[in-house]
Parts: sequence; C-alpha cells; structure tokens
Amino acid sequence: MAARLGLIHDVLDKEVVDRHGREMGRADSIVIALRPKRQPQVTAIEIGPAVLAYRVQPIFGRLMSALEHALGIDEGRPLRIPFGDVLGISTHVKVDRAYGETVAAALEQRLRAWVGSLPGSS
Amino acid sequence: MSAILDLVLGVVTSIGGFVEVGSISTSAQAGSEFGFQLLWAIAAATLMLAMFVEMSGRLAAVGKQTIAAAVRERFGIHYQVIPLVAELLIDVLLLTAEIGGVAIAVKLLTGIGFQWWIVPVGLSIWLILWFSGFAAVEHGIGLLGLVTLAFVASAWKLGPDASDVGKGFIPTMADHDMLRYAFLAVSIVGATVSPYLLNFYSSGTVEEKMTEDQLWVNRTTAYLGTGFGSIVAMGVLVTSAMVLQPRSIIVDSYEQAALMFIPAFGRWAVGLFAACLGIGCLGAALEITLNSGYLLGQVLGWQWGANKPRREEARFTAAFTFILLMALAIGLIGFDPLKLTMICVALTVVAMPFVVLPFLVLMNDKRYLKQHTSGPIGNGLLAALTITAALLAIVVVPLEILGG
Repeated sequence: MAARLGLIHDVLDKEVVDRHGREMGRADSIVIALRPKRQPQVTAIEIGPAVLAYRVQPIFGRLMSALEHALGIDEGRPLRIPFGDVLGISTHVKVDRAYGETVAAALEQRLRAWVGSLPGSS
Repeated sequence: MSAILDLVLGVVTSIGGFVEVGSISTSAQAGSEFGFQLLWAIAAATLMLAMFVEMSGRLAAVGKQTIAAAVRERFGIHYQVIPLVAELLIDVLLLTAEIGGVAIAVKLLTGIGFQWWIVPVGLSIWLILWFSGFAAVEHGIGLLGLVTLAFVASAWKLGPDASDVGKGFIPTMADHDMLRYAFLAVSIVGATVSPYLLNFYSSGTVEEKMTEDQLWVNRTTAYLGTGFGSIVAMGVLVTSAMVLQPRSIIVDSYEQAALMFIPAFGRWAVGLFAACLGIGCLGAALEITLNSGYLLGQVLGWQWGANKPRREEARFTAAFTFILLMALAIGLIGFDPLKLTMICVALTVVAMPFVVLPFLVLMNDKRYLKQHTSGPIGNGLLAALTITAALLAIVVVPLEILGG
C-alpha cells in the first residue's frame, strides 16, 4: 500500500475488486470515524448505489434506498468493508472479500436468475 | 499480420459505420439548401472526431480504462453526473431516431407505415446483441455498411465541378439565410462528434484487448477510418446539392431525401437509399444500445462487455435492455424521426463541453497514459477544441430556435 495515501485521489470512486480480481463496484463512499480529542480515523469504504446517489443529492440517496427496499435487496446494503480488509491499492482497490458472498452481488444474482432463464444466455 | 488485419478491418468498418440518421439528415439538408457551401463543416467535424477517437483509443490501450471509467475515477461522481445524465438522455433519444431510421427504410421497401416496424426493429436489435459478441456487431454491421458508399458513387456519377466542390471546403458566409446556415454547420458537428462514439470506441479498444504496442493501429484507424468515412457524408451532401437544390426540394423527411438517388440509380434509387439508411441506422442503433450498457457498467463498476455470456453480466444486459425499451416506448408514443434527430444533434452540442473537457486532464495524466501523454501541440489543439465546443454549446439553442 502507498506510504502516503490521498483518500479522494487514490481511493474514492476507484474500482473495487475482490480477492480473485472480480469487479465488485466502486468505492462509492469513505467512512471516517470522528472521535473526541483524537485524530479522525478512516474506518471503511462503502459500495452501493444508494450512498453514491446520496453523495449527488441526499434525496436521490433516499429514493435509491426506497427502490432497493422495493426490490427486496436492501438488507445489509450498502456494503461496508473495513479499511483493514483492503489488500492493496493500485489501479483498483483490492479487498479481502469474495464478491458472490457479499450483498454487493444481490442485484446481479437476482437479475442473473431472470437473464439465465432465457435461451442463449450462457 | 494480425495488427494489419485489425487495421484494415478497423478502417473498413469505420467507413461502413460512419453515416447514420444524424449525418444523413444534416448533410442532405445542408446540400439541398446551401449547395456545396457546408463541405468545410463536415471536414472540420471529422477532424475533431478523429482527434477525440484517437485519444479515447490511446487512453484505453495504455491505461486499460474507458473514458467513462477514467472520468469517474479522476473527476468523481459530482462532475460525472452531468455528462452521464446527458449522454444517457441523448442515447435514448438518438436510439429512438435510429430505430425510426431503420423503420423508414423498411417502409420505403414495403410501403407499410414506419410505426408498424418500430417494435420488430427493436426486437431485432435486442436479438442481435443477445447472440453476438463485440466483433460480430462492430465488423459485421460495418462491412454491410459499405453499401453506404453508394452516396459516393452517386456523387461521382453526377460529375460535380471539381473547383466548385473544392470551394466548399473554404468556410464562407452564406448568401442567404445566415442563421439557418450557421445552425446546419453546428448541427453537422453535433451529428459527427457524438459522445456515444467516443465511449463506444474506447470500450471496444478494451474489449479487443488492444495494447500499447498497437497504438499506431489506433492512430491510423482513427484518422484514416473517420477520414474515409467522412467521404460518405460528403457524398450525401454533394448528391443532395446536385439533385435536390436545383429543383428547390428542401429535405423535411427521409422519404424526400430518397429522391436524391434517382438521377444516379434510376429504378434502384429507392431500394438503394433504403439499404443505406437502414443499415447505417441499424449499425448506430446497435452501438448506442451497447454503449448505454457500457456507460452504466463502467461508471458503477460492474462487470461489462459484449464478449462474455449475457448471464455472467446480468446487470450490463439488463441496463442495455432497459435503455432499448425506453427508446421503443418513446417510439411507440409517436415521433417525427427527422425532427427528433435534429433535437438530438442540438443536445449533443450542448453536452459536448462536459464530454470533451475531461480529455484535457486525462490525456496529461501519466497514471493512465504513461509516456504517451499529449504533447504541447496536442494540448494546444485540445484546448482549442474545448473552447470551440463551449462556444458551440452557447450558440446552438438560439440557433435551433431561430434557424432550426
């Protein structure tokens, strides 16, 4: 990992891949813990369309959360990955997760069931 | 040998895929109203397009990033939301217009109203994308698109005076209706430098796994392909100028534009024009549909690509299917394909500064381009293009109202 890290420059909005190199999404948000009389601490990165939309405008974030709820894929989202599980930062952010086992894959898995039922999909 | 084959295929498919609903309509209108006088606008727009295509390909070949992905990373979502929304809106409207173009082509061949063909055309586009990989879409439709060389053959057969044609490449003031002239000049730029083309090209470069060693292929394809391709658009303008202008026929529908082939091709005219319009628009519709999936996938960090099984990229597949359904829904409400095309062209010009501005930063970022960043001349030209794009964006709406 780089000795000097620019959170906005090097992490935020960068592609996040799992430990096998599979795309998981982008670093849509960075979580920083503010602690009294102590240095702020970067604790996690978040992946999910609701936090991304919230960054653009809070109302869009709430709408996206409502949409995720309506689709039944809101449980555990956005995906929060502790910074300690970041394996490396280069052209992408590599994290110690398997994409298919995370909530980031919820929509993909739902759609895959539909798309996969059509002839010629695989 | 493989690089040479890639180069030839790239150039040939660029020629075959150059004209679509926007370039046919703007060139035909320009020719029928101002003779050869707006040939310079096609040449200037082509040079702009070639430069942006080359840069998009260079970024993708060296940095392994598409334009959309690099803009998200480098500029963040607060900036990207503007070109993203604009591009998706333009993609949907332009896709509707392209589907309309194919439907009118079928109408010209069958005599059955174009509205009846909207859904079958949409379904055909989806089926082609469902069963085909990137190369089949890009090269297959590009090779079929060589039929559009009929516009060049027509212009050649009509035998225009070479010096008159040559004068058209020198920008001059119109002798009548200056606002309309300026509107058509700006529209030609909007029809030529479509944002979807740039992201589609960079996505294709990533899909085809072009490497740093093949940058010369990228450069040659960009300049030769778009250069030769523009000759087809010039063929439309010259044919229109020689056939429609002397008869005072103003192009206000594609059916009327089909008349331009009669002196050169006689009884084959309508069929040949329908083939050119249909194949040109079908190719563009396929590219726009795929690009909408690329765009969303790259901005949001999904797996994307036309070369993988659709099941493995369900979100990418769902995204392009959704955009296609939206275009079909607008198409079914009812629209005039030519008017919609001109609106899309104006919207493209409005969005252009937001699309081209990031190139100034990205093409100088060594993280993406390594030693292949732009030099002083490239940067100077790029700055000039960005300023030009901003000026065009300011004037296009007043021109659309007053001269459109």
